[in-house]
Amino acid sequence: MGLATFLLRRAVTFIPTILGVLLITYLIAYAIPADPVRAWVGEKLMNPERLQEIREKYKFDKPWYEQFIFLVTELLSGQLEDPVRQRNVFSELFYRFPVTVEVALIGFIFLVLIGIPLGVLAAIKKDSYIDFFVRIFALTGSSLPAFVLYYFLILGFFVYTHTTYLAGIPYPTQACRDWINSLPATYPYIGNLVSAIGSVPMFGAAMCGEWFVVADTFKRLYLPGLALGLLNGGFIARIVRNSLLDALGSEYVLFAKARGLRKLRIWRHVFKNGMIPVITVLGINFGGLLSGAVIAETVFNIPGMGRYMYDSITRLNFPAIIAATFLFAIIYIITNLVVDILYAMIDPRIRY
Amino acid sequence: MKVVYEVLVKIVNSYAWVRDKISPGWSTRNSSRIKEWKLMAYAFSKSKIGVLGGIIVFVVTLLAIIGPLLAWEPYWEYRVVENPELWYRPPCMPPWCSGYPVFGTDEWGRDIVSLSLYGFRISFVISLFVVLLGAPLGILLGLVAGYKGGLIDEVIMRLTDIFIAFPGLILAIAFASVLPQRIRSFLEVNTPIRDLLSLIFGLRPEEYAQLAALISVWIAMVIVWWPGYARIVRGSVLSVREQPFIEAAKLVGLSTRKILTKHILPNVLSPILVMMTFDLATATLFAAALSFLGLGPQEPVPELGYLISKAGGFFPERTMHIVLYFGIILLVIALGWNLLGDALRDVLDPRTRRSIEFKEGE
Repeated sequence: MGLATFLLRRAVTFIPTILGVLLITYLIAYAIPADPVRAWVGEKLMNPERLQEIREKYKFDKPWYEQFIFLVTELLSGQLEDPVRQRNVFSELFYRFPVTVEVALIGFIFLVLIGIPLGVLAAIKKDSYIDFFVRIFALTGSSLPAFVLYYFLILGFFVYTHTTYLAGIPYPTQACRDWINSLPATYPYIGNLVSAIGSVPMFGAAMCGEWFVVADTFKRLYLPGLALGLLNGGFIARIVRNSLLDALGSEYVLFAKARGLRKLRIWRHVFKNGMIPVITVLGINFGGLLSGAVIAETVFNIPGMGRYMYDSITRLNFPAIIAATFLFAIIYIITNLVVDILYAMIDPRIRY
Repeated sequence: MKVVYEVLVKIVNSYAWVRDKISPGWSTRNSSRIKEWKLMAYAFSKSKIGVLGGIIVFVVTLLAIIGPLLAWEPYWEYRVVENPELWYRPPCMPPWCSGYPVFGTDEWGRDIVSLSLYGFRISFVISLFVVLLGAPLGILLGLVAGYKGGLIDEVIMRLTDIFIAFPGLILAIAFASVLPQRIRSFLEVNTPIRDLLSLIFGLRPEEYAQLAALISVWIAMVIVWWPGYARIVRGSVLSVREQPFIEAAKLVGLSTRKILTKHILPNVLSPILVMMTFDLATATLFAAALSFLGLGPQEPVPELGYLISKAGGFFPERTMHIVLYFGIILLVIALGWNLLGDALRDVLDPRTRRSIEFKEGE
C-alpha cells in the first residue's frame, strides 16, 4: 500500500472520530440547565426581541439535533458566528492559536533539550548516580503540582531578577503584518501557506527580519517553556534511556561488536532504533501542547487556546467551544498522522 | 529493609490463613502463588525508593482516614472575625509564638496544619474514587473489545478515540462546569446519600453545594480516565488471546465470562496495577488543578488546590507559607504513589524481578 492510500484510509476512519468529538461537545453544552442565550447577551441587555432573534438564529426553538446539524454545517462552511463577540468564531481562534503554537514550540525545545541529553547520559552510564538522578528527576517532575512550580518560577525569574515579563505577546510591526497578509494575492497557493506560517507572530517577524521581536518572544515565553521542560523532561529522559537500553541489548549490537565496529558506529545504529518510541511520545506530547495548557496560560497570563476554551466554557459560549474542539480534534489527528509517517521514514521495516 | 519483608510475609501468611478458613486446603492448592507473592515481597523490600514510597503512602492513607477527626479547628470557623491579627499570619518559632499557630494561618485565620488534615481526606478520596471507578470501567471495555473483536471492538475503540482526542483537562473542565447544578438538586432530595458522601469526604452535610462540586470533579475525571485503561487492556488482550491456554480453555467449554476473568484478566493485570498506582498520583494533582482553576468546591471547603489558588493573589508577601506548605503536601502525596509505582513496575514484571532476586546470590 502506498502513502496516498494510507493517508486516505486514515482520513476516512477519522471522520467518525471528529463527528463524535463534536457531538459529545455539543451534548455536554446541551446538558447545561441554564439558558445560554441569557449568558451571551448579559442580564442588562435583555431586549426580548433581540433575545428571540438570537434564539432563532441558533435554532434554540428547534430540537437538539437540528441545532447540532446547524452548528456543524455552519462550522464546516466557516460561517459560524461567536455570539458573545459577534463575529466569526475563527477570527478569534486565529488570534489565539498562533500564540499557543509559540508556547508549544518553545516548551517543546526545552523538553527536547532537557529530556534527550539526560536520557542518553543515563543510558550510557547505566546504574550510575546520573541514572539515579534522572530517575528521581522524572519522579519529582511527575509529582510536582504544576501551578506551585509556576509560582516559584515567577518568583525567581520575574519578581527577583526581572529576566522575563508577564503580559502581552510580542507582535511584528504593522508593515510586516501587511506584507505577510498581501502574500496570498501576489503568489497564489504558496503565498497562502507562507502567510499561514507567518501568522505565528514569531515566524512572521523572522520572515521580515525583525529579530528583536523573535528575541522578545523568547524572553516573554521561555519561563512556561522551562517549566514544561522541568515537569516532563525527566519522563522523556526515562523513555529515551529505556528504549536506548532495549536497543543496546539486541542481537545486532552484539553482531556489530563482534565485527569490530567502532563504538560511534554502533551507537549510530542504537540511536536510530532507540529513537522510534521516543518519537511517538514526543509527537503526542507536542500535540497535547498545541491544544493549550490551561493552567500555564492562566498563571503566566498568556492569551492562548487553553484559556480561550476555559473562558468559553464558563460563559456557555458553545459555538466557540465547538469550533475550538474541532481544531483540537484536527490537531490530534494530524499529530498522529505525522508520527506514523515519521515512523516509516526512520524505520524502513515499517510499511503502511 | 528486613522488617519490611517480614511484615509483607506476615500479611501474605495471614491472607492465606483467612482463605484457608473459608475454603480448607486453599494454601496447599495455591502454594506456588503464595511463594511467588513472597518473592515479590522480597524484591520489593530490596528497593529503597519503593519502601520509601510505601511508607509515604501508608502515612498519607492513615492521615486521610483519621485526619478530620484529629483536626483541632473546625474548617468552617473563621477565627479572623474575632482576632484580626490572624489574617495571613506567617509561621513562627515555637517559643516566641505567643499562642499563634506555628505554621501560620490562611486568610480566615484558620491554622493551616489543621486545615490540611481535612485536605488530605478530600484529595485522597477523590483520587481513590477516580481510579477505582475509572480503571474497572476501562478494563471491562478493553477486555470486551479485545476479546470479542469485530464490530464491538470497532465501536468501543472509536469511542475511546473520541475521548482521547480531547485534551483531558479541557474535557474535565467542561464536565465539571456542567454537572454541579444537577448533582446539587439530586443531593437536595436524597439526604441519605448526601450524608454518606459528606461523611466520606469529611465535610458537613450543610455544605452539599460544595459536595456537589467535588462530586462533579470526580465524575468529570472518571470520564477522562477510562479511555487510557481501555486502550492498554485491549492491546494486551489481543496478544494473550491467541495463546494456546486460551484455546484449551475454550475447548474445555468454559464460558466467555470465565475465560475473561480467570484466564485473560490475570495475565494483563500487572501493568494495569502499576498504571493505577501512578494514576493515583496523577489524579491527586489533576483534581487539585481543577480546583485551582475554580471548578472544584468553594468556601469554606479546604481543598488543597483551591487554597493554593486563593493564596496566589498575595504571593509571595503574605502567603509564601501557604503555597509552600500545601504545595509540599501535594508533592509528597503524589511522590509517594509515584515511588511505589516505580518499584511495583520492577517487582511485578517477572524479568526484572528475577534480576533483583538473583543479585543476592552473586
